[in-house]
Amino acid sequence: MLPLARGIYSTLTQITRNSRVSLHTASAQHCKAEPAAENETPAEDEEGENAKDSASDPKDRKTVIPVETSIRYLKSAAYKTTYGDEFVWTQYRRNHKGMFAPRKTRKTCIRQGKISTGNPCPICRDEYLVLDYRNTELLKQFISPYSGQVLSYSKTGLCQKSHLRLTVAVEQARDCGLITYDVPFREYDYSEYYGKKEDSKQ
Amino acid sequence: MLIVRHLRKLNAPQRLQLNVDQTRRALSDANLQYDKDPQPLFTDAETQRLLQSMTQLQLEKVFRKRTVADNSTETKFMTTAQLEKEFLLTIEKAKKLLQMPPVVQIKPDTERVISKDPALKDFDDSKYVFTDISFGLRPSERKVVVRDVDGTLSYAPLETQKRMNQLYFPLDGRKSYTPRMFSDKELLQRCLDEHKYEFVLDRLTVQYEPYETEFHNISAKVFTHLNESKQFDLLRSTRHFGPMAFFYAWHRCIDDLLYDMIRRDYLYNAVQLIALSYKIHKVPVEYGQTLSQLEALQPTPAERALEELRSCLQKPSEKGIEKEIHAAIGKTEQDFTADELSLKFIEQYIGSEHALKKVQLELAVQTLKELNLEKLQLFKGLKKAHGVQAS
Repeated sequence: MLPLARGIYSTLTQITRNSRVSLHTASAQHCKAEPAAENETPAEDEEGENAKDSASDPKDRKTVIPVETSIRYLKSAAYKTTYGDEFVWTQYRRNHKGMFAPRKTRKTCIRQGKISTGNPCPICRDEYLVLDYRNTELLKQFISPYSGQVLSYSKTGLCQKSHLRLTVAVEQARDCGLITYDVPFREYDYSEYYGKKEDSKQ
Repeated sequence: MLIVRHLRKLNAPQRLQLNVDQTRRALSDANLQYDKDPQPLFTDAETQRLLQSMTQLQLEKVFRKRTVADNSTETKFMTTAQLEKEFLLTIEKAKKLLQMPPVVQIKPDTERVISKDPALKDFDDSKYVFTDISFGLRPSERKVVVRDVDGTLSYAPLETQKRMNQLYFPLDGRKSYTPRMFSDKELLQRCLDEHKYEFVLDRLTVQYEPYETEFHNISAKVFTHLNESKQFDLLRSTRHFGPMAFFYAWHRCIDDLLYDMIRRDYLYNAVQLIALSYKIHKVPVEYGQTLSQLEALQPTPAERALEELRSCLQKPSEKGIEKEIHAAIGKTEQDFTADELSLKFIEQYIGSEHALKKVQLELAVQTLKELNLEKLQLFKGLKKAHGVQAS
């Protein structure tokens, strides 16, 4: 948990640092700084302004982050340092009283635009993970390689709200053909297609 | 001014060429349709045999691990006799999984009125659909009739019939709406660019009936895209390879597939493809003899798969030196004679006016010939070294 939190914290500080650079330096330097910023963090101008707020309050989740940013984030070095080669949910552990975890996860981690819990679920804790049907790299982390189904929240630890959004996004992505799956085999009854032709000829 | 006029003159032939190019592109662009009913030619026994043989039977590909809800495996102890039986069953199962989707004409939707009852006019402000939901009827036999608002009773159009069938007897995997993958052209193009051909075709077979316009349009689009990207190996040993080969042979664009087959050393399949195109276009070239000769020399895909299954039973010491040489080189003496025969036939095709990409094909044949020669020398050398008598 600790290295993860540290990773997220370091990305956030990087975001704020970069945004400050872009805010306070001359335009010529800004041009040079931008590609580097793009490689490292998904921070953009619009988030740059909001980054100040989120720096002051890391639990604030009012800003809407576009999917494109999230897709770029998943390819970035910042993501790599935070999660490594593992899935987003592998390092996550639920907090619970006693030996056994409650059967269902919590209803939601975010209430009134703010994280309302000390241990938010893997999707809610990182605001740059956006569940959307176009974000296939993220969705694929939640699909079982054996059965092709969406992994249960008891395994991934997602809150109920995130899990619902995840299932919807996966279904949409399948509908669009962005995620492939094994289509049920259709057995043809040839006589239905060929036999009838002969009848109509006769 | 003069210069401008000169330029225009220069441009004129180019523009003409552009036009020609555009028409050609339009031809190759998706809407290749079967101009007459392809069904009698497709269901012909000889064509079916050719297509099945071309498809091949790679057990690993047919029985690949599927990501479906239930993909449990069973482990059993068996005697050799039982295992033998199981092998035969496996081949049968594989053949079933390779069943080709039917290739039929587009079915025109005709309106068939049963009775006109003007007395019933305005009985309601919406149509009524009546469906016979008795158990065990085939989808095409199921009676669906519509009572229109103006009182006419008629058989339902194909679209309604399909929807009603799906409503009462749902087909696994079919959606009641058109998936966005098929309705949105960009999404389909994206799927094709990522080479998800098998997925698209699998979904197509489930979503549409083979006699529907969409089925023809989309499959034509997939096949033309595949012809350009030349990733034929993705469909080899799937149920879509047969219709694909048939499509190319029908539209006279087999050269790319032929090139791929020669490059991968599937010469027998190449001969079959040429024979198929001769058969479809009724070219007066005698191909039956070569085919029957080759057939005698080479095992069918099913036999080959069975051989592969059985070979894991044998101990390495039992196999004998001949088999070992075969395993090292990948060819037997019979294969070499078959190759010679098929190469002759292929060269004859390349020399004729039917081949379009002659240079490419000739080069491929040449390289293959050199490779084969090397293999033959190695084969002979190995045989001599091991003291196996030439039969």
